[in-house]
Amino acid sequence: MAFDTGRSPAIQITQRQRWSIALSYLLIAIGLALGLNQRDASLNLSSVYRNVEAGITASYPARWLLDESGDYVFRARDMSHRGYQTLIELRTLPVGPDSAERNILDHLSLQRAQVLVDYTVLGYDTYRLPDETWAISMSYSFVARDSSPFLEGVSSIVNGLDILTLRRGQALIITFRADSSIYRRELETLRWFIQNLEF
Amino acid sequence: MGGADAMVSRRLGLIALLALLLAGPALAQTGFELELDRIRRATVFIYQTRSIGDDHVIACVSAGTLISADGLIITNAHGVVAGEQCDGDSLIVALNVDLTEPPIPKYRAEIARADSGLDVALLRITRELDGRLIAQGGLPILPFVNIGDSELVAIDDNLIVAGYPDLGNRPVAIARGTVIAFIAEPVARGPSWFKTRAEIPGTMSGGGAYNSVGELIGIPTSAPLSGPVGAANCRFIDDTNRDGLINSSDSCIPTGDFISTIRPIGLAQSLIRGARLGLDIDLPPNEPGAPPLNPPAVSRLFFAPSLQGDMPATVVGSMPANTRSLYLFFDYDNMTAETVYEMRVTLDGAPNTVFSLPPVRWSGGRRGLWHIGGREQAWANGAYEFTLLINGANAGSQQILVGGGAANTGHFSDIVFGTLDRSGALVGNGLILPLGSIAYARFLYANMSAGTRWSAIWHYAGAEVARTTDTWNADRHGATVISLAPANGLLPGLYRLELYIEGALSATSDFVVAGQQGAPLPDLFRNLRYSSAESPAAARTAQAASSFPASVNALHALFDWQQIAVGTPWTLRWLVDDQAFFQATRPWTRADTGSDFTVSIASPPEGNYRLQLLVNNLLLVEAAATVGIGQLPIDRLAELQGLILSGRVLDAANGSGIPSVTIVLIGEAYAAAEFEWTQEQVVALATSDRNGDFQFDRPLAFETPYSVVIEADGYIPLAADQFLFSADQPYVNITIELVRG
Repeated sequence: MAFDTGRSPAIQITQRQRWSIALSYLLIAIGLALGLNQRDASLNLSSVYRNVEAGITASYPARWLLDESGDYVFRARDMSHRGYQTLIELRTLPVGPDSAERNILDHLSLQRAQVLVDYTVLGYDTYRLPDETWAISMSYSFVARDSSPFLEGVSSIVNGLDILTLRRGQALIITFRADSSIYRRELETLRWFIQNLEF
Repeated sequence: MGGADAMVSRRLGLIALLALLLAGPALAQTGFELELDRIRRATVFIYQTRSIGDDHVIACVSAGTLISADGLIITNAHGVVAGEQCDGDSLIVALNVDLTEPPIPKYRAEIARADSGLDVALLRITRELDGRLIAQGGLPILPFVNIGDSELVAIDDNLIVAGYPDLGNRPVAIARGTVIAFIAEPVARGPSWFKTRAEIPGTMSGGGAYNSVGELIGIPTSAPLSGPVGAANCRFIDDTNRDGLINSSDSCIPTGDFISTIRPIGLAQSLIRGARLGLDIDLPPNEPGAPPLNPPAVSRLFFAPSLQGDMPATVVGSMPANTRSLYLFFDYDNMTAETVYEMRVTLDGAPNTVFSLPPVRWSGGRRGLWHIGGREQAWANGAYEFTLLINGANAGSQQILVGGGAANTGHFSDIVFGTLDRSGALVGNGLILPLGSIAYARFLYANMSAGTRWSAIWHYAGAEVARTTDTWNADRHGATVISLAPANGLLPGLYRLELYIEGALSATSDFVVAGQQGAPLPDLFRNLRYSSAESPAAARTAQAASSFPASVNALHALFDWQQIAVGTPWTLRWLVDDQAFFQATRPWTRADTGSDFTVSIASPPEGNYRLQLLVNNLLLVEAAATVGIGQLPIDRLAELQGLILSGRVLDAANGSGIPSVTIVLIGEAYAAAEFEWTQEQVVALATSDRNGDFQFDRPLAFETPYSVVIEADGYIPLAADQFLFSADQPYVNITIELVRG
């Protein structure tokens, strides 16, 4: 028993057309690659912060909101992140001749315990700076939420890290905070920041 | 910032591709509805709570009103200041999150200023509900109302009163009424109370009374009675004795009876100013610490048709028809700021709600002469009976007949005190005499018949010291002068003259003898000066000055005094930039003569300060000092006006709210394309809540072009320019749709 498969007659294309199709796919692929590359380049752009008075030059991710209005040298926040916005802050504090790093960190903790919900110091460690010197670090956590009394704000558990070093009679404190769910991933940004920090 | 240009180009491209959906369903409300909305939002509920072990129970409740964006609340003192009736130790503030729902506890507050007698307190929100301190500037901008001029309120003016109709179980309520009468007391030159017929539950005490343009002009006030008298208006809601039952053995929350009295906001202006400036006055304790041993009492009730200062012009037993001014005078003793007093007026036996004063806190001192009444109001003809109740118990009553023609009987009036000059004319200020040998009193007489028996009785420190009785032998009308010449001269202290005709009191007035002869005023207070030092003690030896740097830690005012008797009421008033921020009237408790009385202000802001010392409302001495540039810094939050912008961020695909999206609002100087992600370009930030709702934390300027930028993970960035809001839309709600990408 024979069956008619009903197959359509084969479409005959020329060699030139074959090349055209292949070239089109290639161009699309190149376009996509370029687009993705452009996107990554755009996303990975950095901005530079310079403070001649404080003698600080720092690079921070582009599209982070730069703020110099507080009691810090500068603060940069990732405003695109939904949830607690990853933050890098740099501040200097005068220190007395008898002040030790732990004194300063403990003082910070006392202040924060007054204003941050469930502020808990997780531990102390050392941190190696790009110039091969060692700084002291303090990790902590707290709960952040929108302060507006008229909204049903979403609370976030935030992990933080303070890196403190004493230089030229003052304490330089780098504060890093991120939502606990992305903290480890975002630490890369902190490392990159410190790598490019000049002070 | 090399990457910024590329980023902006990219964003502009996206803007071209995306449709921005910023629909603006602005609330279509009339001006008055908007003011009502603002009033409701600014009305708070206050719990005074008491710690019992690890638990808190509610001791008292009040309504309150936010009067500044940075969390300053005005309310009654009786519900928040710790005392016998309200013995709580912390204050919880519940806000109107949803105007159709009961208030929600959000913050803790502390008393910034309070006057228990005026029954006004200013609270400042200082902590989150969980007790965390709110950093300076860390409080979101809160809704608040503007303060009006209570001196402009007239009889028959419409009022609206905002507060909570029960113990926090129902949403904010508005009551409407009219001003039906003014009640005057010595505490103010104008009305000390507005009376209204609005139906105001007792729990609304401490809320706000507003004029027709929505300005706060008073505080509805009713002081709950304690003990068995007040039991009917006390609610039991907590097991305060921890016996497992909630019954009459537990402490109850006093709510007070229906309110018909409103304390004019003008009487609280100095408190408000002091609280706004955060000025902390260190005034040495001057009031005797021990409470009175005897119960409060009133005596010598009589009527006067008008006032001469705070004294009765004359004493009357009846008033003619068309009477428009009448005052009840009485002596009081053993009163405190926690004493609740009440005046019930009946007309021909029926209660008269217009002129009655419901239970309120006592606003005078411990003892003295008081009056209560009103002027420029019609008193209907009939027999009036005024009954005073102290802490709910009858303390005394007096009757007066209004109607008929003017009585042509003899009477005395308008007593003034002074000394005689060389020509024999009475000179002086009429209220304070310096130490000397003779005190003179001049008074007017009218309709006096020859042969009428009259008496003059002089009192010093509450005891009679001289009495003359005679028969009248002068003209029918005129003025005369009598004198008091004690053997040992005039001692410093409080004096009183009573004039009687045929045994009936016809006129009376009090005066003070203090200080040495001075020109033109007696010399009581002298050497008023300023200094800055670490402490009041150090200030006494510090160099006096009249200008100080802005960074001064404390400003001390010092003065010396002479010949002031214990018990003499005196007033200390502080002004800054010519506006009073502190005033206290107290009886003198120090030695007759001394030096270096010190009053201090901690951390005074820049301004021109002036201290005034008064006796019997007579300014005796004042001195000014300048701190910094001599002008107060502008209080941005006190007069903050603008648009409250709120809205919701939605997912364009499914219409659901997107939580945790930050909306960046850029100022008029920049377009969205020029945004370089620096804080100085940002006007305000808002983050959406779990429903996608957001609200900017500060009012925005009207008619000002704003730009909006939103970048959120998982969504295509959004940017738009030229958002303008007109002044007739103070509350705007917008919807923003984001497209996934």
